[in-house]
Amino acid sequence: MKAKLGNMTPSSPAARKPEAQHPEPHSASAAGHRSSGPGRLIVAVYGVFAISATARASYQIATKFSEAPVAYLLSAFAAVVYILATVALARKGLRWYWTSVAAISVELAGVLAVGLLSLLDPALLPEDTVWSGFGQGYGYVPLVLPLLGLWWLWRHRPGRGVVQ
Amino acid sequence: MVVDGFFITGAVICVLSSVICIAAAVIRQPPNDITILAVAAVELFLLAYGIAAIFRQLGGEPVAGEAWEFWGYWITALIVPIGAFWWSMLERSRWSNLVLGAVGLTIAVMLVRMEQIWDQAAAL
Repeated sequence: MKAKLGNMTPSSPAARKPEAQHPEPHSASAAGHRSSGPGRLIVAVYGVFAISATARASYQIATKFSEAPVAYLLSAFAAVVYILATVALARKGLRWYWTSVAAISVELAGVLAVGLLSLLDPALLPEDTVWSGFGQGYGYVPLVLPLLGLWWLWRHRPGRGVVQ
Repeated sequence: MVVDGFFITGAVICVLSSVICIAAAVIRQPPNDITILAVAAVELFLLAYGIAAIFRQLGGEPVAGEAWEFWGYWITALIVPIGAFWWSMLERSRWSNLVLGAVGLTIAVMLVRMEQIWDQAAAL
């Protein structure tokens, strides 16, 4: 299982330090180390958003779907995007790499589009979604997270590890 | 939201837990007994909070908001420290301590929401 991963890193703290700072150059496949080092935290934050967006969308659809179906469908869509991004970031391999790029790009487009819409025409989406107001209800984390995620994926783009 | 003993206790435990874990990450420590116990303290608080909530409800102090929403939050909150612990154990680097540090902050936010529901606040 994945638990073996932990055994592959050197066990003495001194030996681990350089790897924690530059997680990618040592690996044969850079794509395999997306969920390593700072990537651990990125996956974890995505996981929290996946859980909260799913719970919120389920609640909204279960209790008051007819009030604002478009907004609540958007909530559900955002939840699916966060789940996909979390899983894709945590997994190894080229296919999951591009899945995570796609999911996070959609997330960025979503938060920008919904943020702009709620700014230009607040009446169009009267109910709050994760992405309303560029994610201000969540401390603008939904706006920062995809930028951080794409930057992280760029640093771990396929082929980079092979070149080194 | 009424700031009661439950909230203050929970907020202090959550913030302390996060500070300990983040400090451990800053001084480049992998997850150790101290940071794991700090996260366990958050989980223990949640268990105590839930058991207390059961007794409060049975004792004629019902949830002012939606009871099932309160318990939904509680069950989700219980999973967060366990999930973070599992994720941090798969790779024991300093970064995993930041994962553990995220637990306290996340639970603090969820505690605020649970307290709001308990005292009846507008639904999401």
